[in-house]
This record gives sequence, C-alpha cells and structure tokens, in this order.
Amino acid sequence: MTLRKLILALFVLMCQLISAQNDSITNLKEVVVSDRTLYSSNKSQTIQILNDSVINKNQSSLSNLLNYNSVLYFKEYGRGMLSTVSFRGTTASQTAVIWNGINVNSQLNGSADFNTFTAPDFNSISIKAGGGSVSYGSGAIGGTVHLSNELVFKSKFENDLRLDYGNFNTISANYKMIFSNKKWSTQVGFSRNSSDNDYPYINQYTWDGIQRKNENGQYSTTNLFANVGYKIKPNSIITFYSQSSNTDRNLALISESDSKTKYVNTFSRNLLEYSTAKDRFSSNYKVAYLTEQYQYFENIENDDFSFGKSESFIAKIDLGYKVTESIKLNGILDYNRTKGYGTSFGNNIRQIGAIAIKVVEQHNEKWQNELGFRKEASSDYDSPFLFSLGSSYKFSALYNLKINVSRNFRIPTFNDLYWETGGNPNLNPESSYQAEVGNIFTYKKFTLSETIYFIKISDLIRWAPLDGSNWTPENIDRVNSYGSETNLGWSNSYGKNNLALNASYAYTVSENVETGEQLIYVPYHKFNSNVSYSYKKIVATYQFLFNGAVTTPSQKYNLVKEYWVSNLGVYYDFGNKNTCKIGLQALNLFNQNYQSISQHYMPGRNFLINLTFKF
Amino acid sequence: MNFSKLVLVMVTFSIFFVSCTNDDNNNDAPLGSYDNGFLILNQGGFGHNDASVSYVSSDFATAQNDIFSVVNPTVTLGDTGQDVGFNNDLAYIVLNASNKIEIVNRYTLKSVGSINSGLKNPRYIGFANGKGYVTNWGDGSVATDDYVAVIDLTTNKVSSSIPVVEGPEKVIANSGKLYVAHKGGYSYGNKISVIDAATNAVSTTITVGDVPENMEIKDGTLWVSCAGNPSYVSAPLAETAGQIVKVNLSTNKVSSTIGYSNATKHLSNLVLNGQDVYYTIDSDIYKMSASATALPATSVFSTTAQGVYGVYSFAVHGNHIYVGDAGDYTHNGKVYVYALSSPSIGTLEKTFSVGVIPAGFYFND
Repeated sequence: MTLRKLILALFVLMCQLISAQNDSITNLKEVVVSDRTLYSSNKSQTIQILNDSVINKNQSSLSNLLNYNSVLYFKEYGRGMLSTVSFRGTTASQTAVIWNGINVNSQLNGSADFNTFTAPDFNSISIKAGGGSVSYGSGAIGGTVHLSNELVFKSKFENDLRLDYGNFNTISANYKMIFSNKKWSTQVGFSRNSSDNDYPYINQYTWDGIQRKNENGQYSTTNLFANVGYKIKPNSIITFYSQSSNTDRNLALISESDSKTKYVNTFSRNLLEYSTAKDRFSSNYKVAYLTEQYQYFENIENDDFSFGKSESFIAKIDLGYKVTESIKLNGILDYNRTKGYGTSFGNNIRQIGAIAIKVVEQHNEKWQNELGFRKEASSDYDSPFLFSLGSSYKFSALYNLKINVSRNFRIPTFNDLYWETGGNPNLNPESSYQAEVGNIFTYKKFTLSETIYFIKISDLIRWAPLDGSNWTPENIDRVNSYGSETNLGWSNSYGKNNLALNASYAYTVSENVETGEQLIYVPYHKFNSNVSYSYKKIVATYQFLFNGAVTTPSQKYNLVKEYWVSNLGVYYDFGNKNTCKIGLQALNLFNQNYQSISQHYMPGRNFLINLTFKF
Repeated sequence: MNFSKLVLVMVTFSIFFVSCTNDDNNNDAPLGSYDNGFLILNQGGFGHNDASVSYVSSDFATAQNDIFSVVNPTVTLGDTGQDVGFNNDLAYIVLNASNKIEIVNRYTLKSVGSINSGLKNPRYIGFANGKGYVTNWGDGSVATDDYVAVIDLTTNKVSSSIPVVEGPEKVIANSGKLYVAHKGGYSYGNKISVIDAATNAVSTTITVGDVPENMEIKDGTLWVSCAGNPSYVSAPLAETAGQIVKVNLSTNKVSSTIGYSNATKHLSNLVLNGQDVYYTIDSDIYKMSASATALPATSVFSTTAQGVYGVYSFAVHGNHIYVGDAGDYTHNGKVYVYALSSPSIGTLEKTFSVGVIPAGFYFND
C-alpha cells in the first residue's frame, strides 16, 4: 500500500515537470468550427484539443490516438477489434462521440466503437471531460469526444496523402484534398486500413508446443468523406458534411478450436447545416440523416448473418439572442426520429423531442457563468430534467478556476428496449449528477490542469436473469465514481531544437454502491505521456502508456494485469516547399506482453513505415 | 532541463511501473486426489475462456476451486463449459464455445488429451458400445447442420457423425442405445432421437413434450422432463406448460404424460432418486412419488432465502440436495447444499463459493 501511495505522490510531483497538449484555443480563430459553441460556451469544463499535427504523429485508429493522448481508458478486444471506452469510470455507453456537432453513438447498443473511426479523417479531435447532456444529449455522462471537420474559407489547394505499411501486412492509406477560396470550402478524402493481423502471442504456445498467434483477426476499415461549405454572406454559411464507413472484421479467436466468426459495421452520416447571424440574433439549423448497420456472420464460410440497423433523422434549431453585451441566450429545439430493425427485433420507431435553454454570461474577461436546461419528451420513456451550471474565473494569468455541476443521462437503447427475447420496454434512462472542480495553471510554457470530480449514477441498466432464466435489462445498479484528472503540457525551443512534453494521469474510483466493488474494466490508474523532439527536419516522438490492473475479487477471470507500452517514432522531412516525410515507428518498443481485455492478447514489438506527402 | 535528464525521468518512470506489478498466481497446490467428493463444472462467461472445475469432498471439509488449472497449469480449460461425462477413469469435459473436449483423469484431474476437431457447438456427451457420443448444434442459426459426433475413445478423434434434427442437447445411454433430447437449440424442439450404437444411425424419433431437457432411465422407462415453450416464443408458437413424459423403452412409445395446466409453469432439472422424483421451477424445489399421476401443486422448499433467482444446476445425491446458483452470471457463483430429509428437507447445510455459472454436479465416488 505504501508503495502505491509513493507512486501516486511521485506522479503528482513528476507531473509538475512534464506537460499536455491543451492547445490554445486561439489557433482555431481563422476557421469555422462546426461545433461552434463547444469552446465558447463550455469554459467551466476542461477541453483537450488534439490538432492535426498530433493526429498525424499517431497510429491512424481513433482508439490508439486517444489511448496514448488522453485520460480515456480503452477496452480493446485485440488489435483492431471492438474498442470501447471508459471515461471517468463510466460504462461504454456513457461517453458520447460527437461528429460535427451530432451525437453518433450507436442507437442499437448505445456505445461507440473507436476502431471504426480513422483519426486522420478529421482536422481536430477534442475531448471534453464531464457531463454534457444539456448540449449533446444521451451518453454525455463521463464526457464527450468531438470529431470535427473544420472548413476554412481562404484560398487554398492542398493534398494530403499518408501511406503506412507495417508488420502483419498492415496497410493504410489516408488521402485528403482541401480546395477552398473565400466563398467555397471543400474537403474530400478517403482512408483505408487493413491488416492480416496474425501477430504471434508473446510466450504463448499450444499444449503441443506450437507458437500461438492471433487467428482470424484480419480487418479492414474504409472511410469516405466529403465536406462542403459555402459562404452566402459574411455571416451566413451553409455547410454539408457526409461520411460513410465500412469496417469488416473477423473476430480473433480466443483458442484455436473456436468457431470463426465475422462482424461488419457500416455507417453513413449526412449533415446539412445553415448558420446565420445578424445584429443581436444568431441562428443555426441542422438536418441530419444517419444510418448504422451491423452484420454478424456466425460462420465465415457461410453467407448467413444476423443484423441490426437503425436510421435516424435529426433536426435541430438553435436560436441565439444577445440580451446584453455580456449575456447570450440560446434556445434549442431538437427532434430525433429513429427507426430500428433487425434479426432480433421488429420494426420499432422512436421519436424524441427536446427543448433546451442555455445562458452564457461573460461577466468580464475573467469571469464566465454558464447555465443550461434540457428536457426531452420521448415516445418510449420518461426523461429526467437536465441541467448544467458552471463558472470559470481567471484569478490571474497564472490560475483559472472552473466549477461545474450538471445532471446527465443515457437513454435505453433499441437493444435494451426491444431485443427479442428479453427487451424491456419499461426502462428508464440512466441518470447522473456530477460535480467537478478544475484548476488550470499556466506558467511560462507550462500548463497544468487538475480536475477532481464526483459522479453519482443511478438506474444503471444491467441485463440479468431476474425472473429465473429469462434475461432482461433492468434499472438496477447505482454507481459512485470519483477521481482526478491531471494534464500537463510544456514545450520550448532551444535554437533549432524543439522539445514538447505532455502527460496525463487519471485516478479513478468507480464503485457499485451495493457491493462496494470497483466496476470491472475501470483501472485505478492510467498514465500516458508523449515526448516530442525536433531538430530541423528530424522529429522523434516517444509515447508511453500505463494502465493499472483491473480486477474485481469475485470476478477473478476478468483480471487484466497492469501493463505499460512504449512507442517510438522517428520522422524525416525531405521536402523543401512541400512536405515529403518518411517515418518509422516502433510500436510496443519493449515487446511487452499485454491484454486490455482478458484473453485478448495484443501484439509485441512491431514496426510501421509511413510516408506523408503534402502538396 | 536538458534532454538527457528528461530521458532519465522517463526511464525512471518505466522502472516504477514495472516494480509495482503484483502477480496473481494461484498458490493452491493440487490435492492429488479428487475422489470421494463431487466436481462442479463452472461454465464461465461466453467469450471469457474461463470455464473451470471446482471440487468439494463428500464430508464438505475440503473444497478447492479451479482444480483443472491447479493440476494442469499449462493448459487452458476453455470457453463455456457445457458438460462432463465420466467413462471408466476418465472425465470428458465438453467446452461449447471452444469446440473441444478436454480429457482428464477423473480422480487426479491430470490432463490426458483433448479432442479439438470435428466438433461444432458441442453440448453433451454420452457413452455406449466403447464410443463417445457428443451432441452438436453446428452453426446455431442453421437448423439443418446438427449432428451427433462419434468419438473413437482410443484415438480421441471424431470418427463419424450422425445427422439429427435441430438442437440436440442431453444424451443418455441404455443397452446399446442413445437417447438424444432435442431441446431445440435456437428454436424449440419436442423430439427424442434414438441412436443405435451398433449402426451409428438414428433408428427412430419419439415426439415428447415441448423443449425436452432432462432424461432419466428407471425400470425400462425413459423419463423426460419437458420445460414447455417459454413465454417469449413468437407466433405461431405459444407458451406451453412443463410436463413429464414417460417413454416405454421396449416400444419407444410414450406411455404416460403428466403436466401442469398453467402454461407459465416450466419445470426443469428432473432427478430420480429411489422412489422419489425431484424437479425445479424457478427458485423452487418440487418432490413427488415416482408413481404419482399428477404433478404437485406446491413446492417442498424454496431457495429464495439464499437469493437464488432460478436454480441453474441441481442434483440429489446421498442425503443431500445440491443447488448451483449462477447469481448475476458474471461474478462467482454459489453452491448450496440442503438436507434431503433430516432434520427436514430444504434445511440449508453448507454454502460454497465456486466459479462463474456453476452448470453441473458430477459425483466422483
């Protein structure tokens, strides 16, 4: 125990020396941010922004990017397989993924699979810790992950091509073209990542002495996107975002004699948005159409599959009015109609209407107060009255205090409500109260943010065989989560040497109130750090990730030992006018044998070569 | 701060992380002998690869969990333990999701081999004519690929397979014949297939009640407990009541049926013990005479005091009744031992904490 404490103390001390990529928000001023209110009206919570230079130095899956650069804890069923998140000790469906301002968590199971997203498809990825249901709806309990395609209105023609090749026949290609002028802005691109993924399991042999490997683990992910913006008038912009993706994965075997199965996920996301501002008024209209589908092949040799599909139509009106110079009022109307159907449930339609009011008072340059309410009405369940109340006060250039309390929720999914057999149409949403205090220190080139939070979640939905053998979901569990998040960032230049460091550490306690046990797959400790050094055209990066052990005493087999993984990358830019960069990455440099989900081994040391062209 | 110092800091970090590793080795030593007691097969979570075997001695003084891995630390038992079959000195442990059978010495638990090809969704095992017979669902969603695999017990290989109708589940052997209950797999069955071990072919099928689960043989009669269709079947099927169907083995004809009239009563876990018949409905234990002509309306005792949602596994042996409780199906399960008669039926005598989802009791004496 004393050792643990010592380590904790060491973390805190060390962290004073190191630092996080809380990029300054001013970087974004020249662009149109689709999710405009994210930064301006959420000052009472901390937001971490990963810009494209960070995105490009990481592996292309969103899961890896966030795992090595944020406090989010990932549960990955082997490399490239299903990857879900736990944020602040919450469940996979209690973190919302927001694509250009629209919540895109699965309507069927409530969570997002981070291995179906390819990070370089986005210009900026932001992580907002803490409750956000007033703005982003269901699932924004632990926090939200914002995937943004920012459209820039200036004359520009740019092509971005990144090619990767690595062990296990891992191939990826990402291409993006940006074509814009003062009126028009267009981005089109595609990405494809695939791998045979047949990596050997370190020190694992079958009973007859054969080296074990990741069998039936091949995957491929294809994404296409096109985003167009047109400036009708200086203050009126119409934008259209479109993305479609297909993730085709065989499911890696746990043991050699397992049946070989396969899972295909397809998504399409379309969003038309119009925003205009005049005098004291501003308005934003969104219409979106989203579809998601999974197909599960019980036997990869056969064409038989079971499936689930949802189609959502979303309309959103956000009207803003500047009451005074310092007070801004927004009224939001939201409508969502989702149709879900599939092998295990009939055709069900769910309609949700919501009304929200948000007030931001910028008292002065130092002090901002935020208040929001949201109430939903749904055809399926009763929704709690949601609120968010926060304040940000800058005592000095050195210190910024942020306080926020909120009530958030996660609605029952189509699976929970309609699954045949067992779906329970009488479920209530999971709801939570949350309080957090954030301290941000800025000193010369250091930024340090330290947030402590408490979340009380009730009505947690759990599937259990409550009436004998019939499995059905019920609002049974209550969970208390509390902990701290520390982010540090530092960078400096010494002549032609640039050095940047960032680190984050999360201490998380998430207890089932009834049993007093830590929730499964919530480690007490997660630490990660990035060191980046550049000299002229050479860049070297070192990534380090530590995840503490997860275990619950009465679930012995769900034990996953603590693990640490390091990645090293070296890049050299040959280009003069254009970028032409070659990079070599050594992943899992120290060849650690680790699992993030019990029984699902991750690869040992492996290498990736990449080429990046910008022209 | 220069770069080398920072590297030093990083390295220091790494060392700290390594040094805080606390190994979780199972320090239990093998008991050497696991007879004079009973084995419990713990199914484990589907996809978790954590099936396990527990042991409790007949006098309840000794208990040990995870005995398969304690004895065979280099072998992983597998995913979703379904059944254990004893044949002479060997125990055949059927692992459903792993599509394999682990073979151990039933008294020492030492691994002697495994059968890991030719099985697809294996369920239960029986023995006849010097061969093993394993029911298989094939692909769960395909109704036409179900079969019984015939195991050559000398080579431990699947020697042939016998196609059967959908959802073969439990299998029981009697006089060179095997009776396979078709619970139905992903669907709902109502048949018993009779396999002749001499020809390895289905000689006849017998239609019984809906969802036949357990079988017992007594005095030339096959007793079949049929759970009935559950409440959630979709039309044209309807919920049906549980019943006990008796089949005359000389004619393979149903000789009598006794059942509930209330369609919501679904019985399971049929056990014959001497002149008494036991079964369960949800958390309740029922008892009747083997000669009874109607099912009892009331239970003899309930396990609800122990917080059991539904009896997952059940056995009657010696002077005791054994109940396996899967709890929430993700945490370790429990085994409750109740008195059969003295001081009174249903008196809780012992409680054991076992592995995840205790699925069956196998008496090793």
